[in-house]
Amino acid sequence: MDSVIEVKNLCRKFGKFTAVNNINFNIKKGEILGFLGPNGAGKTTTIKMITGLLKISSGNVFIKGMDAVKERKKVKTITGYMSQKFSLYPTLTGLENITFFGGISGLSKAEILRKIEEIKTEIPESNLKMKIGDMPPGIKQQIALFVCLLNDPELIFLDEPTSGVDPENRRKFWEEIYRLKVRGKTLLVSTHNLDEAEYADRIIIIHKGDIILQGEPEYLKNSHNVKNIELLFKEAIENYDKT
Amino acid sequence: MRLLYLIKKEFLELFRQKELMPLIFIAPIIQVILLGYVVTTDVENIPVTIIDLAQNQSSSHIVRRICSTPLFNVKNIYNEPQNTLEILKKGDSKSIIIFRDSKKTKKFPEIQILMDGVNSNTSAIAAGYFNGIIKKYLVENLEKNGMEMPVEANTLIRFNPELESINFMGPGIVALMLTVLALFFTSVSIVREKEQQTMDTILISRLTPLEIYIGKALPFGVVGIINMLYGLALVILWFNIPIKGNLAYMFLASIIFLTALLSYALLISTLSATIQQALFFSWFSMMVFILLSGLFTPVANIPVGLKFLADINPVRYLIEIIREIFLKGNGIEYFYKDLLSLATISLVVLSISLLTFRRFISK
Repeated sequence: MDSVIEVKNLCRKFGKFTAVNNINFNIKKGEILGFLGPNGAGKTTTIKMITGLLKISSGNVFIKGMDAVKERKKVKTITGYMSQKFSLYPTLTGLENITFFGGISGLSKAEILRKIEEIKTEIPESNLKMKIGDMPPGIKQQIALFVCLLNDPELIFLDEPTSGVDPENRRKFWEEIYRLKVRGKTLLVSTHNLDEAEYADRIIIIHKGDIILQGEPEYLKNSHNVKNIELLFKEAIENYDKT
Repeated sequence: MRLLYLIKKEFLELFRQKELMPLIFIAPIIQVILLGYVVTTDVENIPVTIIDLAQNQSSSHIVRRICSTPLFNVKNIYNEPQNTLEILKKGDSKSIIIFRDSKKTKKFPEIQILMDGVNSNTSAIAAGYFNGIIKKYLVENLEKNGMEMPVEANTLIRFNPELESINFMGPGIVALMLTVLALFFTSVSIVREKEQQTMDTILISRLTPLEIYIGKALPFGVVGIINMLYGLALVILWFNIPIKGNLAYMFLASIIFLTALLSYALLISTLSATIQQALFFSWFSMMVFILLSGLFTPVANIPVGLKFLADINPVRYLIEIIREIFLKGNGIEYFYKDLLSLATISLVVLSISLLTFRRFISK
């Protein structure tokens, strides 16, 4: 499979602090990449640099062969991004949020209406008419993902999409992620819920701005002789901190 | 089209905050009425103590005149000497007028006015009123005896002949309303998106930086203009201040002013990390804008070292222009210099604000 995202020597500094330190990785088409790391490890910073939301200090990001910085406009048209906290407007209803994000994504009125009919099959209309601020996290998460997919992006970046969501909704969410993979979408999902990493095709563990481990979950568990990702994660972090 | 969605969203967000509605629609009414009545430089009901030691025809005549004018509130009339310093210290009277007995002093009947100078403005105005009353009595007296004053200055006051301070304050208050609401609402618009983390989603959308900038400024500009119309109606209908000039010029000046103010507010919003920071910056800026605007004290009184701050203050120019249009009925040929200064400030602030916003989104 061809790489649709290539990250080469990516680096981000905030003054003297290095948030992301010369990292390299690829994501292949139709792949789910789990991006793991403790808080402040550099997950969000990396995603923001790939999506063009944050300036790159050094290094390159290529998306489908395009330089993500130089061809930001084109890259925008094929990427979807769901940030932490779901990034919806709390005083607006679910439907108003969808209409707004559809509108600024360049969808026509007819397309927005079609999208609204689509989401009504998944979420009851009464819930969609509630203000986001009054909604339970599970529905907020569903709407946030729907908003992220409004312009049918090929590449989807989900930054801690399951934080604050109950296990049942997290399971449903990952089912949706699998459906997207089946449709040929490429996904980068950052999380600190380590059990979720098992669902990914490949994982990257990032710590203090460095990639300390990457590979297929099953392969990594076997090669490190650990039962689950949590133990793998713990071992990798401890080894890194020792060195 | 994308821009319209952003503008609509801004309005929806604004009007969904029910707690803010009274602030937008009721607070300005209270503001105009309070400022119109409270912030007045008119001097009325000044408490006066009269010490008439002369007790002659002249003193009785002047005392009668003082008692009959609403400018003074005569608290006490004494015919014996009093401790005048103690009277002023107690504060019951802000002024004392003493008529001295010419027979005892062997001098021409001397009239002395003692003022409490704590409020220098009121004291100066009141002293002027006293002198006016005395002068009028002297003129009438001379005329009765077939004489006249050798030289007399005749003052003719144009544009505000009654010297009503509300005529001076009212138009300025309209500018103040435009400043306060537009500044505070706009300054939180970008920083709120940052706090909600919705800014990232907006930036990754098809909206261009310029569209985002316009979409953030325009709704608050409209709210500002609505508030200004509100204030205008109140000033004209409630305080009966007729507008003598062309309203179109006022709108032109207001739009140029709003460009400067909204750009400045968006600059605050871009640079602030939290809503709290943005509100503090806005409050501080508002204080500086108002104090250096000429609304309460003339710009000419500002010390030379600080004058440059008034020269770059857009509120100052708007107030000057509005007063010219309102009170003098002047056309653009009279205030084009102020308008040009305002336009230059707008252009500079807009450029800085836009560049800062562009830098922020590509940080």
